[in-house]
Amino acid sequence: MAIIEAIRLRKVFRSPEREPGLRGAAKALFTRRYTEKVAVDDISFALEPGELVGYIGPNGAGKSTTIKMLTGILVPSGGTLHVAGIVPHERRMDNAANIGAVFGQRSQLYWDLPLRESFELLRAIYDVPRERYERNMRQFAEMLDLEEFLATPVRQLSLGERMRGDFAAAMLHDPPIVYLDEPTIGLDVVAKEAIREFIAEINRERGTTVILTTHDLADVERLARRIILIDDGRVIYDGGLERLREEYGTHRTLVVTLAESCERFDVPAEVVGREGNVVRLRFNRHAITAEALIRRVTEQCTISDVTIIEPDIESIVRRIYLEGYHDGAAGTPS
Amino acid sequence: MIAARRVPKPFRLEPYVAFASRAMAREATYRFDVFTSIASVLVRVYLLRMVWIALYARNAAPKELPLHAIITYSTVALLMGLVMDIDQTRSLHDRLHDGSIASDFMKPIVVPLYFFADGTGEVLFHALLIVPSLGLALFLVHIDVPDAATLGAFALSFLLGYFVGFFINFILNCTAFWTLEISAVQMIVTWVSDLLGGELVPLVFFPLALQKVVVVLPFAAMFSTPLLIYTGVIPRAGWPGALAVQAAWVVLLGGISALLWRAGTKRIVVQGG
Repeated sequence: MAIIEAIRLRKVFRSPEREPGLRGAAKALFTRRYTEKVAVDDISFALEPGELVGYIGPNGAGKSTTIKMLTGILVPSGGTLHVAGIVPHERRMDNAANIGAVFGQRSQLYWDLPLRESFELLRAIYDVPRERYERNMRQFAEMLDLEEFLATPVRQLSLGERMRGDFAAAMLHDPPIVYLDEPTIGLDVVAKEAIREFIAEINRERGTTVILTTHDLADVERLARRIILIDDGRVIYDGGLERLREEYGTHRTLVVTLAESCERFDVPAEVVGREGNVVRLRFNRHAITAEALIRRVTEQCTISDVTIIEPDIESIVRRIYLEGYHDGAAGTPS
Repeated sequence: MIAARRVPKPFRLEPYVAFASRAMAREATYRFDVFTSIASVLVRVYLLRMVWIALYARNAAPKELPLHAIITYSTVALLMGLVMDIDQTRSLHDRLHDGSIASDFMKPIVVPLYFFADGTGEVLFHALLIVPSLGLALFLVHIDVPDAATLGAFALSFLLGYFVGFFINFILNCTAFWTLEISAVQMIVTWVSDLLGGELVPLVFFPLALQKVVVVLPFAAMFSTPLLIYTGVIPRAGWPGALAVQAAWVVLLGGISALLWRAGTKRIVVQGG
C-alpha cells in the first residue's frame, strides 16, 4: 500500500500580467490579463512506507511546488494526490500531523526563543504525549549533540547547530513522512555527514518515509536507493540509482601512471588529461572493457599504476538534463 | 491506501495558550523597551497636563469636560495606549513578507488563531505595564475614579475597542497578501486614527462637520467611547447604545478580516505566492 500517491499531478500558476513602467502599472489597474506558468505539468509516483527517495531536478523544475502540494499549502490544478490516505489540501490540519519538514533555507524554529522552548512549543502544537516527548528529546539530543546549545536562543546558533535543531523539531512528533528540502545546503563536511547519518538512522530505525530534495547529489548517493528525476514539471526518470548508473554511466575514466615517458597512445579511448606521467583516458565501457583497454595500453607502454574512476551520479544527472532521458541510452547493454 | 480517519480532530486550545505565553516571554526579554515605554507614558502624562491647564486658563471650559475631567481623560487615554498602540499582528505581515508563513500552514494549527494568540500574549504583557505606569502617574496628576458600574462599563467598552483596533491592524497586515509594502498606508491610518480616535483630543472639541465624519469611521470606537464612558460624558442611559455601536464595528471589521484572510490564503493556495 502506497503511503504517498500522486497521479497526473499538475499545478498551473496564474499571475496578473503587467507591463513595465508607470504606464504598465496604470494599465494593470484596468485590464486583467493573466500569464499562466506550468510549474508541475504531469507528475505521477507512488511511495511505499519506509522508502527514502531522492527528488531531483534543476531549479524551476517543479520540486518545491510538488512539496507544497504534498503539504497541503497549494491546491493542485489537476490530478490526484493522497498522503497517508488524506487529500492534503482538503484536510490540511490532519495532514500536517502526519508530516515533518525541514527546509535548509528557512528555519521553523522560533527565532527569539531558546531552542528548548521551541521544542516545548512544538510539543503543544502537535500534542505529543509528555513521555514520548522526553524520550524523543533524549534520543535526538544524543544523536545530534544538541545538549550544549539547548538553552541558546535560536538567532545565536550557527547554521550547523540550527539545522540540527530543525531536524529534531521536524521529528519530535514522530511523523511517518518527512520532506527534506535542501537539508545540507551551506553546511561544512562534518555537519553534512552528521545530518546524513541522522536521516539514514530515522529512516532505518523508525521506518520514516523520506522525500529528499537536494542539489547536492552526494546526499542522494549516500542515502537514497531510488531517485525521481524531474524536469519541466515532468518525471523523466523514476527508479534505482544503480539502473541509472548502468544506463548512463557508460563512460568511465582510466587513470594510468606510466613508468616511463611514452608519447603515442593508439587506444579506442579519449585522452582527457595528461599531467606528467599520469594520463586520463575516458572510454565507453560498452565499446571496450577496462581489461582490454589496459591490455592495449600495456602493449604500447610500461605502466606502474592504474585506477578506474566510476561515473558519479552528478555527472550522470548533468548529462541527462543536457541530452534528455531515454531508455537504454547506452545503446546495447552488455 | 491507508484508510483515512474521517472524524476531524477536536479543537485543542493548548497550542494557542502556548503561543500567547511564548509571546509574553518574548516581550519580557526586551527589558529596555519596558522602561522606555513606561517613562514615555509618564512624560506625556505630565506634558498633556501642562497643555490642558494652559489651554483651559485662556479659554472657557466646555461644561461636559471640566479641567479635572480632561486631565483624567488624557491620562487614562495614555494608559490605554500602552495596549492599544501595539500592532499585535505585525508578525502576519512579516511572515508573509519573508515567506515563513508557509511553515505556519504546515503545522496542525488554525493559522489566523495563531496570529490572534501571539498578538494577545504580546498585548497582555504590555497590559501588565499599566499597573506600574498608573502608580507612577498618580504622583504627577490626580485622576477621577468613577463608581464601580461605570468602571465595569468602561472595561467592557475598552475590550470592544481593543477588538476594533485588533481587526483594523489585522486588515492592514492582510494587505501584505497582495502588496508587500504597506508601511505608507499604515502610517496614514495611524495618523488618522490617532487624530479621529480621540486619543489625544476629545472629539467634543472638533468642529461639528468633522464630528459627523468621525461617526462613520471606526476609530472613535477605539479610544473615544471608553473614555467618554469613564469620564461620564456618556451617561448611564447612553451606555447600551454606545456599546452596541462598538460591537457593530467589531462584527463588521471582523467580517472584513475573515473575507480578506480567505481571499489572501486563496491567492497563495491557488495562484501561488
